[in-house]
Amino acid sequence: MSAKDHFIIIGNGPAGNNAAEVLRENDKKARISIISTESFSFYYRHRLKDFISGRIPAEDLVVKHYSEYKDKNIRLRLGQFVEKIDPEKKILYLKHMEKINYTKLIIATGGSPRILPSLTIFQDYLTMFSTYSDTVGLRHRIEKAKEIVVLGGDLTSFSFVKSLVKACKKVSFLLFNDAFWPISLTSEMILKIEENLKSHNVATFFNDSVEMIKKSKSKYTIETKQNNKIKSDIIISLMGMIPNIRFILGSSIDTDRGVLVDAYLRTNFKDIYAAGDCAQIYNPILKNYWVSIGWMNAEEQGKIAALNLLGDSKIIEPPKEEIFEYEGIKVNTSWWKKF
Amino acid sequence: MSNTDIVLEICGSAGEGTISSGEIFNRYISSIDFEIMSFDTYPSEIRGFGKCVAHSRFSTQKIFTPGKYTDILIALNDAHSISQLGHLKDTGVVIYDSKPPKYHEEDKSIVGWMEPGMISYGIPFNDLAQKAAGNSRGRNMVALGAVCALFGVDHEEFKNTIIQRYAKKKQIVIDNNVNSFVEGYNWANDNLTKIDSISFKKGKNKNEKESIIINGNQAVAKAAIDSELHLYAGYPITPATKIMEILSHELPKKNGIMLQTEDEISAIGNVLGAGFAGKRSMTATSGPGFALMTEFMGLSVMAQIPAVIVNSQRGGPSTGLPTKTEQSDFNAAVNGGTGDLPRFVIAPASVEECYDGTTLAFYLAEKYQTLVVILLDFFLSNSIRNIDEPTPPTEKMLNSNIAPNEKELKDYVRFKETKTGVSPRSIPGTPNGMYTTTGLENNERGKPQYDGKLHTKMSDMRYRKLNSALNDVPKPKWTGPKKDIDVGILSWGSSAGAAYEAATIANKNGHRVAVLSSLVVFPVNEVDLTKFCNESKQILIPELNYSGQYANFIASYINRPVERLNMVSGLPMASEDVLSKIDEMIAS
Amino acid sequence: MDNFKINYIDEMLDDVEKKDFLKYRTGELPTWCPGCGYFGITQSIVQSCNELNLKNEDICVASGIGCAGRFPVFMDVYGFHTLHGRSVPVASGMKLAREELTVFAIAGDGDIMGIGGGHLPHIARKNIDITLFLFDNSIYGLTKGQSSSTTPFEQTTNSHPFGNPDQPLKPVSLALSYGATFVARAFAGNVDQMTAIFKKGITHKGFSFIHILTPCVTFDKVNYTWKNLKANVEEIYDEFDHTNHTEAMRIAEKSRLYTGIFYHRYDVPSYQDYLKQK
Repeated sequence: MSAKDHFIIIGNGPAGNNAAEVLRENDKKARISIISTESFSFYYRHRLKDFISGRIPAEDLVVKHYSEYKDKNIRLRLGQFVEKIDPEKKILYLKHMEKINYTKLIIATGGSPRILPSLTIFQDYLTMFSTYSDTVGLRHRIEKAKEIVVLGGDLTSFSFVKSLVKACKKVSFLLFNDAFWPISLTSEMILKIEENLKSHNVATFFNDSVEMIKKSKSKYTIETKQNNKIKSDIIISLMGMIPNIRFILGSSIDTDRGVLVDAYLRTNFKDIYAAGDCAQIYNPILKNYWVSIGWMNAEEQGKIAALNLLGDSKIIEPPKEEIFEYEGIKVNTSWWKKF
Repeated sequence: MSNTDIVLEICGSAGEGTISSGEIFNRYISSIDFEIMSFDTYPSEIRGFGKCVAHSRFSTQKIFTPGKYTDILIALNDAHSISQLGHLKDTGVVIYDSKPPKYHEEDKSIVGWMEPGMISYGIPFNDLAQKAAGNSRGRNMVALGAVCALFGVDHEEFKNTIIQRYAKKKQIVIDNNVNSFVEGYNWANDNLTKIDSISFKKGKNKNEKESIIINGNQAVAKAAIDSELHLYAGYPITPATKIMEILSHELPKKNGIMLQTEDEISAIGNVLGAGFAGKRSMTATSGPGFALMTEFMGLSVMAQIPAVIVNSQRGGPSTGLPTKTEQSDFNAAVNGGTGDLPRFVIAPASVEECYDGTTLAFYLAEKYQTLVVILLDFFLSNSIRNIDEPTPPTEKMLNSNIAPNEKELKDYVRFKETKTGVSPRSIPGTPNGMYTTTGLENNERGKPQYDGKLHTKMSDMRYRKLNSALNDVPKPKWTGPKKDIDVGILSWGSSAGAAYEAATIANKNGHRVAVLSSLVVFPVNEVDLTKFCNESKQILIPELNYSGQYANFIASYINRPVERLNMVSGLPMASEDVLSKIDEMIAS
Repeated sequence: MDNFKINYIDEMLDDVEKKDFLKYRTGELPTWCPGCGYFGITQSIVQSCNELNLKNEDICVASGIGCAGRFPVFMDVYGFHTLHGRSVPVASGMKLAREELTVFAIAGDGDIMGIGGGHLPHIARKNIDITLFLFDNSIYGLTKGQSSSTTPFEQTTNSHPFGNPDQPLKPVSLALSYGATFVARAFAGNVDQMTAIFKKGITHKGFSFIHILTPCVTFDKVNYTWKNLKANVEEIYDEFDHTNHTEAMRIAEKSRLYTGIFYHRYDVPSYQDYLKQK
């Protein structure tokens, strides 16, 4: 490899960081840049809920400090949005109006909050979060709020609710079991969840759905199908994640729900790879694409994408079915096909 | 109320309204009672690039330095602003144009160079200005609007400041600027999520006195006018040129004259000519010009003719670093010239002192019939502050020439020996007061004469003037503890600001640090100096020159070792620099 | 012979006392060599002041360094013996400070054609209302006989024992091309003409340049000697048009040393008059 190489990784999460590490270990000369929309250091996303509810300081979120990038001569471009890719000319167009040339590219942009189609008309009233910058303002609002409604459609919502309770908030929880992400909840699970939440003094609304949301002054009122009226200072919608690939659409990189890659994590362009939550990976055995979530998966894929980019040909193994305990419920998260 | 202390920089290309937006910002910030210390860099001083920077520090506390690190950087021009990131704080904020007319090439965008942890807000300066006024001239105002939205500034009040600033312009100009500002304010309010924690709504408690916004050069010019300056003669040279430009506007209003001469020799020659004729006159220059004036400096002293020279120091020697600040002309100011050459040297430490030092200079020059050098520097010349309306010179200061009385005029002896060393001086037009003065050693009647006894007597008289003036000048300023001083800082000129700030912090940290600085650096007030040094365990002399010119000078008076802090980075001294030296000295 | 001389001085003294121009002289005895042309020039300046009725206290004289530099010491006015070459800027400062004063700049050829040569074009184009008396003896006298800027080519001097390698400057041509509004040449040996020229120069509103040819009897035995000068000078003819710059330049370039007023322009305001108009 020559010093003229410029490897760019879009995304500063577990996939992106592991890719960068592997690239630097194997190539001391190439320019390596990480571009991320986030302005905050590489952090543990699953700790955000504790940060929002004010239980941990921002420092506790950090995985890797800025100085570590400098030491490894990796250029970290934070708070920078890639708006457009030109895979033919190998140019990235950034939102702040800069053109950047790359020789090889890894897309590791992760996911962004999903919003249910039925709730889109109330979008302005809903608060969602998936990134650190989303949470900074939210943390402040939650501090002031007394009553909070959580629209729960994913696994994070359970632990988030508990975090709020611990912060002495009055919490109501609406379960969206039909649209739950990324797994389908069995009725047995639902019962256990309800039991669990009630024991934490959470007002639960199961088998119900949102009919109307009204706002007067700074207070919201949710009217449900079952004619419940729930008052709230903030409505937080947690409906899981969708791959963050909007900026790729319209380039000629193949996408479906995520960026389509082969088992080597290669896209339809020779020098472009994708890894982590944003990738939709072809499984030759299943003869179909699959998406993985979870930190470990992303790390592994980041490494493999980097090795393949450097000339290796490592196949991503479909992970074995793994079952882990989640609030007393057994959940299978690492292997699924359905959104 | 918690303290606010913020550094804001606006960086752009010439013609983008960088300096004027900085000026408006300063006016507003001053009107809400912040202390400000600001510093502009103009394109003429940065060859070939057209880069402008308006640097502004404002605080609820008394401040003495412009601040080393920036909190907020407004990038009107990306390419120019990139280098300003070097002193943006780790968590600093950048406000930039998110929709320039075309894409920046790789690494030509400010956002691309931001360090992790820094925060950026993109605002479509261009689009919004176009929308507001149909052209992009109001980009700077859009940026100011965004600043108001982001940092909680009262935008209605700010708007009034803009209107006042352009009050003399056509209505369309006012409208375009105001509309651009409002557009930026509204857009930022609607579209930006604040993620930094900076805000500045109100400064300290209201000051009773009227305050003015002024830089060192303007303060000198204002003081000169207030001191009834009649003739300014000068040759353009950075960083003193502005004094000449201001006076070229102001002097004609007072029937005075600004004379642009062919060189600095002619400038100081004209100054002496006017001084001889009984009018107040001055010149302002920098190192190279000051060097040319040396021969006339000797003449001023020998012929006993008042002369005021402002030397705004820049990096030296020779042509040196014309746009960088330095304090390396101390030797030249105090010792420059040949022979035994007593003169006054005034070194203002702040914009306020630029005014006071200048009025003092005219007073001393006229009263003591000799040379007064005012040492400014690039930084002080251009540093903008809001200061209380200065106190104009008194009648006594305005008419300080000691003229011969009628009895003396009966048989007028121009250089008659006196106790103070000052002989009454008649000015042209006075009947029977005729005399000839000369650069040759001369007797009491001005006749050239070379005998040793006379030379000894006349030399003594010339030096005696300085000693008798010591009671006529302000005493050195002693700040901080008066006894048991861990580190006593002997400071001079503009780096005294950094010394004050560093001492304040050190004293808060439980140390005992005091500062002695004097507006008049020559002649030396030995009484105060000795007292200060006797109370100080260690002595520190910070200054912006390589060889420690002041330290070397003062050593001969205090006869003990001194610690030195010498910097020639071209930047003003920062309190951080002095503080780390203090810590080092206390630790050892 | 001796009697004749004494009688001559007595007559002169009577004349001097009658005309009252001794009041412009101090008691100091000039340090110039006997026979020096400067005595005559001094005489003419003093006489001009007297004839123009100037008050002593209203006259300021700035001089440079050299034999001419000593001039103010001998005149009872406000005098300033300045630096080598710098009488012009000092005189300029005097005038700009106090317009009501009559200001003279006294300079030798070393002063204004040599070290201070840079001031001449600018005082001329600024048209500051002073009168510059250039005492040109074409040699450095005070330092004992070195070449000056007006020493002829190939002349042997103490600094050029093998002949002066430099071409001499032409003061009148220079002043004309710099745009001086009053340019004249006088001869130290012709007191009456000098006085007439000086009076015109002093009363001219603007910068007046007067080139005065004078011998250095001690150090120049070949060029500007009394004998050579007398033989070479010629008064400009009466019909000469003083407002014709081209003509002035033409006769200034001649090897014949014309004396009188070369050029006199009235339509350029003096520096201070210009400022008043604005």
